[in-house]
Amino acid sequence: MNRRTFWGFTVPSVAVMLLLMVFPLLTTVWLGFQKLLLRDLNNPEWIGFDNYRDLLSDPEFWAAFRFTMVFVAIVVPVTMVMGLCTALLLDRVGRGRSIYLAALLLPFIVTPVVGSLVYKDLFERGGLLAWLWEVITDNPFAVNSGNVKWLIIIQAIWNVMPFAMITFFAGLQTLPEERVEAAAIDGANFWRNLWHVTLPHLRVLILFVGLITIMDMYRVYDQVFVWTGNRFTDAHTLQVYNVRIATAFDIGRLGKGNAMAVLTVIGIFVVLIPFLWRSYKDQIAERV
Amino acid sequence: MKRTTPLSRFGLHATLAVLVVWSVLPFLWTFQTSIKFTRDVAAKKPVLWGYETTANAYRAFWLDADDVNMWSVLVYILVVAVICAALGQIGRRVRHGWPWFAAVALVIFAALWRFPKIWEANDEYDFLINSIVVTVLTMIISLSIGLLAGYGLARYTGISGAVILIIALGFRALPRTAFVLPYFFGAKEIDDWLTRTGVGSWNFPLIDFPGIDTLQILDTRLAIVLALVAVNQPFTIWMFRSFFMEVPKEIEEAAMMDGATRLQAFRKVIIPMMWPAIIATGLFTMLLAYNEYLFVRVLAPTEWTLPVAIVSLTGGESSRTITEAAAASVSITLPIVVVIILFQKHLVKGLGAGAVKG
Repeated sequence: MNRRTFWGFTVPSVAVMLLLMVFPLLTTVWLGFQKLLLRDLNNPEWIGFDNYRDLLSDPEFWAAFRFTMVFVAIVVPVTMVMGLCTALLLDRVGRGRSIYLAALLLPFIVTPVVGSLVYKDLFERGGLLAWLWEVITDNPFAVNSGNVKWLIIIQAIWNVMPFAMITFFAGLQTLPEERVEAAAIDGANFWRNLWHVTLPHLRVLILFVGLITIMDMYRVYDQVFVWTGNRFTDAHTLQVYNVRIATAFDIGRLGKGNAMAVLTVIGIFVVLIPFLWRSYKDQIAERV
Repeated sequence: MKRTTPLSRFGLHATLAVLVVWSVLPFLWTFQTSIKFTRDVAAKKPVLWGYETTANAYRAFWLDADDVNMWSVLVYILVVAVICAALGQIGRRVRHGWPWFAAVALVIFAALWRFPKIWEANDEYDFLINSIVVTVLTMIISLSIGLLAGYGLARYTGISGAVILIIALGFRALPRTAFVLPYFFGAKEIDDWLTRTGVGSWNFPLIDFPGIDTLQILDTRLAIVLALVAVNQPFTIWMFRSFFMEVPKEIEEAAMMDGATRLQAFRKVIIPMMWPAIIATGLFTMLLAYNEYLFVRVLAPTEWTLPVAIVSLTGGESSRTITEAAAASVSITLPIVVVIILFQKHLVKGLGAGAVKG
């Protein structure tokens, strides 16, 4: 395909991305240097790095940062291990597999805010698990700033585990039968087989799922917002904090919010750049 | 070579059953909350069985009148579903089935249009319509430009292709706030300009939609669609590209040897082979648009879609009861359940395809 035809095919998509992704991102950077209030959008005022200074000295920013890090550090590994185990189990099921799949996929594809709402129902007054808690410990259960963090983490695992499961499951379907059999003839037990045959086969997928899950958990918004609203500020993630400072009724500071968005973007790129570089190399290698 | 004893098989199914319970328990609980009377929900000790069921919560959430027999609504929905299923089955079996699928779309459209004329629906029904409009438009725009770009990126071997792909990959990782705040600001600026110059209240003969007398961006479904199409592009082009890479170049080259232009070869030869890819990508686009919360909340303060409606209407300060919140959650989840049951294979294949390529 020559250059002209290529651009003919890609121009609508590239135009959308330039106009609605590149340009807004530049606007974000520019707005991050402005003093700009939500109730007075017509008078931006250049204040240099003041927004950033403001953010970095805000204890609530650091609380959000800490919680986001803890959140990612717990959710991602647990999700991947659980996903892998479930995929291995599913792989051994003969009949009834698609019923299990449909049921297990549900938390992943349900509307995120609704997922949190239905999960929350279990812990509300009169909810099933709140009642069980009361029966077992003899204390009434109430969502408070102490336990809401754990509820958010558990619900996030519930929410994204199916993604890891289904991806690993798809990978297991492509595992050549002969290799498993050869290992079995050599007398490999389940664990040796897992370590020497299955996991190396899934290596790329494990990297892929890990990266996507880190990305998605780092920028989680919907699920956490439903649990906390504007209360429980200790359990706000970076995104919830960001939206709160930018759009809070009457005191929203759009400039500061944009500065915060820039910081978030820088944060994810620290993780992402080696991976992007590697993909770029792969792409170039594919072309010569 | 798999040795399965009855005992290990029992253990396998038992473990999976526990996982299934962990997955669906919240939904089951919410579902049974939605069909209870308020007095049973408020009971300190949960009433697990033997309670009286009711559709009051659904009626209160969707309808204005409170004397409607909900069985008639259920029958209406079931009749529409049966007609659609029948048409869809025929469409799957005949060779060129698209008129039958078009008929399914037409039946759904007619049913949605008739519904508020039979029963008095309230605002929530408008939010449902908004959800459907936004989802369908996002799917159409996003998939058509994504298909073209994915094809170009799969076939072109220049460096610019690689650069576009890598930048798109980077965009895929960015948080929503990096986009939603400048969108909001930009839309506000455009709207201000439209009012200031009076362009917003011009009468354009061709785009004179009923019910719209001033042109604006903020608080319209168009704003949501544009935002969703944009953030969905990186995913769409990567997905389509990986599917196009599996189609051998020789196929369209043969067609072009026979005198077809590239565009003709693309339309007549390649697209018909791509339906599984289009369905898989379409499913994910659909989920993205249907589930979106943040963009709608910020860009459309009143033109809500269902997720925003549910969160806003069931928040602490609202007068809605727990049963209504539950009914709303069940109503918004049901279409998704139907979709996974119908398209599970495509969904799994799509995730697999995206993943295997990395």
